[in-house]
Amino acid sequence: MNLVIVGLNHCSAPVAVRERVAFPRAQLGAATCELLSVAPLAEVAIVSTCNRVEIYALAADAGQAALALRRYLHTYHKLTEPIDAHLYERHNRECIAHLLSVVCGLDSMVLGETEILGQVKDAYAAAQQAGATGAALNRLFQKAFAAAKHIRSTTAITRGSTSVANVAVELAEKIFRDLTQSTVMIIGTGAMSEATAKALRSRGAGTVLICGRDRDRSAALAGQLGGRAIHYDDWLVEFPMVDIAISATASPHPIVTREKLISLMKARHNRPLFLIDIGVPRDIETACDELENVYLYNMDDLQQIANENLAAREREIDVCRELIAERVARLVEWLEERYQ
Amino acid sequence: MTDRYFFWMALVFYVGASALTLWRLRSNRAVSALHHINVLLIVAGFLMQLVGLILRGQNLHRCPLTNPFEVTIFIVWALVLFYLLIGPSYRVSFLGAFTAPVVTLMLFASLLAASDTPHVPALKHSPWIEFHAGIGILACGAFALAFVVAAMDLVQDRQLKSHHPGPTFRLLPAVQQLDVIGVRLLMLGFGLLTVGMIGGAISDKIVGAWPWPKVAWAWATWLAYAALLAARTVGNWHGRRAAVATMAAFIFLLSAYWSMSWLAR
Repeated sequence: MNLVIVGLNHCSAPVAVRERVAFPRAQLGAATCELLSVAPLAEVAIVSTCNRVEIYALAADAGQAALALRRYLHTYHKLTEPIDAHLYERHNRECIAHLLSVVCGLDSMVLGETEILGQVKDAYAAAQQAGATGAALNRLFQKAFAAAKHIRSTTAITRGSTSVANVAVELAEKIFRDLTQSTVMIIGTGAMSEATAKALRSRGAGTVLICGRDRDRSAALAGQLGGRAIHYDDWLVEFPMVDIAISATASPHPIVTREKLISLMKARHNRPLFLIDIGVPRDIETACDELENVYLYNMDDLQQIANENLAAREREIDVCRELIAERVARLVEWLEERYQ
Repeated sequence: MTDRYFFWMALVFYVGASALTLWRLRSNRAVSALHHINVLLIVAGFLMQLVGLILRGQNLHRCPLTNPFEVTIFIVWALVLFYLLIGPSYRVSFLGAFTAPVVTLMLFASLLAASDTPHVPALKHSPWIEFHAGIGILACGAFALAFVVAAMDLVQDRQLKSHHPGPTFRLLPAVQQLDVIGVRLLMLGFGLLTVGMIGGAISDKIVGAWPWPKVAWAWATWLAYAALLAARTVGNWHGRRAAVATMAAFIFLLSAYWSMSWLAR
């Protein structure tokens, strides 16, 4: 018996192809059952996310099984043009190594991302409920999940955020004791400030104040974030209550100066203040960072931390591969013993 | 086995916890098991110290607070006691890692220094004196942990200000959390110190007058911490300034005590 995988991912296929072969989550179970009935397979599981579609199978003849899986992808999705050029195929050892790399986030678009583990777990659960898995795939997936847990806890592959918005959230969590008690103010709306505010809100940030010149836009964003829109001219009035300020105005001069901030810090009893300056030219005087309990970051600072985090994750790849190789060897041994 | 044997054993455990801290920082690994090992090593050191203090107390037939060595050992023990009480309840990550080196240094210095000499107390034995001294030492333990928390606060503030967070950034708690814990520890320590001072005043009436250097030290410490607490609560001192002042207050407390002990001899 052989393990086989046929699939495509963000590296092998553009999004236009990936979206055509994606399996709706609700149909995963039915698709695995159908696949078992039409192809010469003993066990099967389908993993389908926005970045990958992969079919894992156990079959007596690896070549025939792979051919059947390719054909099934075409017929199930009623493809008029062949997608074989985008599909990859792995057998036995390579198949096991691939799954372990996938669940550990080594094969993801964002290196080390953790969402994929949950998605593969869901796919495995759907196949298991459909009765499409047996001893081989059960062991393969369960060992893969255990490996992912171990690698995530013993290496730095998931450490640090790699997006600017999440880096800002991570910094906020190291300044404030409880984000739910924090008030966030966006001065001047824009894609980056919105993304950062959304990331903060998703981590539980308490109140969000939207302050922009365009009242309709501010009100719409306030509605989206569950916040409150205030007039641009009122930002200074509300500022003493604010803990995190994201500034992205088109002002040609700094709107927050050191002198202004000194009096504002007195009004807020010197509590910590996190300032994120996304404006170009900058909205907040760099001298503000010299003030005690004021933490000022601009776009370059955040991007640099995100890059450093990504580089740190990349340095962990070899360690992860070594840990994966040990587990792959054990699984291959087990597979050979069982199906000799 | 003498009590000093147990103090040395405690030091070995604290050195182990400190070494583990350094290893965690160098390896940059987030292994929860290492945190548990760190806590276990500190607990083992704490128990060894407790046994040592009990043995010494049995030999002296009184609370072992008769010379600077015993006082320092007791302060270290109280510091670890508060760490074990505060750490889990506030879920302060990496507090043990910062506590271990401070405890190691203080214990090592006191074991090496020639301060463990028989000392004839100036005042005759009284439960009021033991109450006053014991509560005072507990206050010092709380101040010592406030010192550790302030050091953590300074490190985290420095990392945030640098814009290039280092390896300890993710391990340390938020600066605001450290600030809150620091103030609470100072309140606890100040409350204990005040109760101890009242005990001292009562024993002064019952047993006899305290030597003036001790009285001066006690008042100077009380006033210094009263001013610090006022600054951190009413004066809105937060962050770096508050942390530096808290560390300076504890260094003053220790250096003034050792100077006063030297003067008394």
